[in-house]
Amino acid sequence: MSSSAADVAAIRASFVSSLQGGERFLAINFARRLLEIDSSLRQLTFISSQLEKAPHVKLALKPLRVALLSSFSIEFLRDPLMVYTFLSGIRLHLYFSGFGQFQQEIRNPASGLYGFSPDVVILAVEGSDWIPGAYHEYSEQLADGFDTVLSGFRDEFQNLMQAFRGNCKASLLVNNFVPPVWKKLGILDNQSTVGQAHLVYVLNESLADLCRQHPGFFTVDYAGLVNRQGALRWYDERMNLYARAPIRLEMLPELSREYVKFFRGFTGQTKKCLVLDLDNTLWGGVVGEDGLAGIQLGPVYPGSAYLAFQSAILDLHKRGVLLAVASKNNATDVDEVFARHDRMLLKREHFVSMELNWRPKSESLQKIANEINIGLEHMVFVDDNPAECEEVLRRFPMVTTITLPKQPEKFVPELLQDGLFDGLALSSEDRRRGELYKQREKAEALRNSSGSLEAFYHSLEMEVTLAPVKRASLARSAQLTQKTNQFNATTLRYAEADLADRMQHSDWLLTTVTVRDRFGDNGIVGLTAAYFASDALEIDTFLLSCRVIGRGIETAMLGYLYKRASQRGVRFLCGRIIPTPKNIPVRDLFERHGFERVSEAEDGATAWALQIQSNELAMPAWMKIQIDEEVPAES
Amino acid sequence: MEEHVKQLMADILNVDLDVIDGSTSKDNTASWDSLSHINLIVALEQEFQVSFDVSEIESMMSYSDIVGALERKLQN
Repeated sequence: MSSSAADVAAIRASFVSSLQGGERFLAINFARRLLEIDSSLRQLTFISSQLEKAPHVKLALKPLRVALLSSFSIEFLRDPLMVYTFLSGIRLHLYFSGFGQFQQEIRNPASGLYGFSPDVVILAVEGSDWIPGAYHEYSEQLADGFDTVLSGFRDEFQNLMQAFRGNCKASLLVNNFVPPVWKKLGILDNQSTVGQAHLVYVLNESLADLCRQHPGFFTVDYAGLVNRQGALRWYDERMNLYARAPIRLEMLPELSREYVKFFRGFTGQTKKCLVLDLDNTLWGGVVGEDGLAGIQLGPVYPGSAYLAFQSAILDLHKRGVLLAVASKNNATDVDEVFARHDRMLLKREHFVSMELNWRPKSESLQKIANEINIGLEHMVFVDDNPAECEEVLRRFPMVTTITLPKQPEKFVPELLQDGLFDGLALSSEDRRRGELYKQREKAEALRNSSGSLEAFYHSLEMEVTLAPVKRASLARSAQLTQKTNQFNATTLRYAEADLADRMQHSDWLLTTVTVRDRFGDNGIVGLTAAYFASDALEIDTFLLSCRVIGRGIETAMLGYLYKRASQRGVRFLCGRIIPTPKNIPVRDLFERHGFERVSEAEDGATAWALQIQSNELAMPAWMKIQIDEEVPAES
Repeated sequence: MEEHVKQLMADILNVDLDVIDGSTSKDNTASWDSLSHINLIVALEQEFQVSFDVSEIESMMSYSDIVGALERKLQN
């Protein structure tokens, strides 16, 4: 969905007011939304300038002092770095060394660098500036060989590390070197034992080797980053020549994000727990509707994409990340998948907790957090439904939520791109963490969530349209009766012809329910079929797609039926619940709305009735309800 | 288009909108230094989906220069 200028202005205003109000997580989430819409220089400048004016004492961000040393104009990194660091709840204090003076700054104990008392020092030097012999001076150097160039660099860097550590306890991040984009020897470069690609490889190995040997020194895989983005896209020769700014300004957010992965590690913000939805997340489809055989997970697309996602999640588990599930499903359906689906890579034992219920997901997250004794700020929540992510963010803005894109092949990059789980050390405890968690005796009492739940519903900006079933909606209506299992009162299956018959009948009322919300148009997601009989309007079919359960739409549907019953002058609105293993969520539908239970049969089917009075049933305040009526067939 | 440019310049140079007028230039605006000049050029490129070469960048040192350069660019 594209955003209008008005939307952006509104989000900017919300960002500014939450920032000024010291509401840290709220401000972060608004900033994140602004960047999702547009991460241009202009947006970054705006956010950064707001951050400068923000009341930092109130915001209580984690402070981090970072110094940047470079051989080029690294100053352009200021705004993107400030902004992306802010998204991780960190306030940066930045120092930029004098242009091209990184060697002097490190070696001089009285330099501005040390006077700044940094926590982290970043050495962002392009290979072509540090070891020209492997780059633009390569041809001249070819005659003499490269041994001195390579050993010279290794000695120099070791020297530099010693000088640095002698003056400072800060962590040092060093960018490694990007192989030259154009090789002097062309295709011959790789056939030579001293090609440029090989030289840079050796240089990078020296760098990595030296950093590994000494605590507090880290190689930043700058070459990997540029490779991922594409060197031709990464560099801007025009700006390099004009302003000594070799990196295209549009790419600086990517460089910032890479550094932020380290900053998160340094400030103890590495995420520890991944909480997952199930349907359309770990497999394609909805297990409660499609059944074990109907979900997509296997060698054929899209099942293969879901398999790749499970594999990436399993890798995280092996790294020590805790896995949990928060999903709106019947436990028996989920048990069946884990027990009997032969393609599941993830097994029950990989998960430290499984919350399978129909409550808001934020409640499940709270329970999981209590159970495994970690803070909510260390959790990542992944769901394909943006409304679920929104609900979680509203209640617990410190949780990082990931709304999965439509195409499952994009899940893995979406999960891994920000390095949320990247820690700075891997211990054997990390690898065993899944087995080590503690169970808490008593869960924390849930906050009273009713007020905030309504606020969430309002934020969805739902528009519900109730309309008679027509020719055009006949196929979809029949399909809903065939497919819907969970929120379905009577689970009566109808073919198009059955519904068409009833459409003609003056005593039958067939109504489709269409829902639009802030995230888009869900289309027809509900159906009621009711008929007038003696003194009542009898509800034959009442169903809603599981995607929109839990938002009060059923109240609007019942309210509409009540009105029609009242218009016709009957005395009762009646309904039945035929229990099935799948339709647990609908069981209390009539009871919740004040219906009286009239009878219960041996098989558990219940009949309910509500007396029609001169009033109207209260409709939920958080949705716009539109009723499309054709001229009523009844006289 | 002129309003659009003024708003963008106000954002990038971190000044109030009404400060930008026909006489605004790099020489008479404190926050318009060589660094913010590059930011301004790139921001204009992103906003208007155009690309300036080095000689153009060097000649866009005032509000009126910028508007002129953009008009020429967008006509082609």
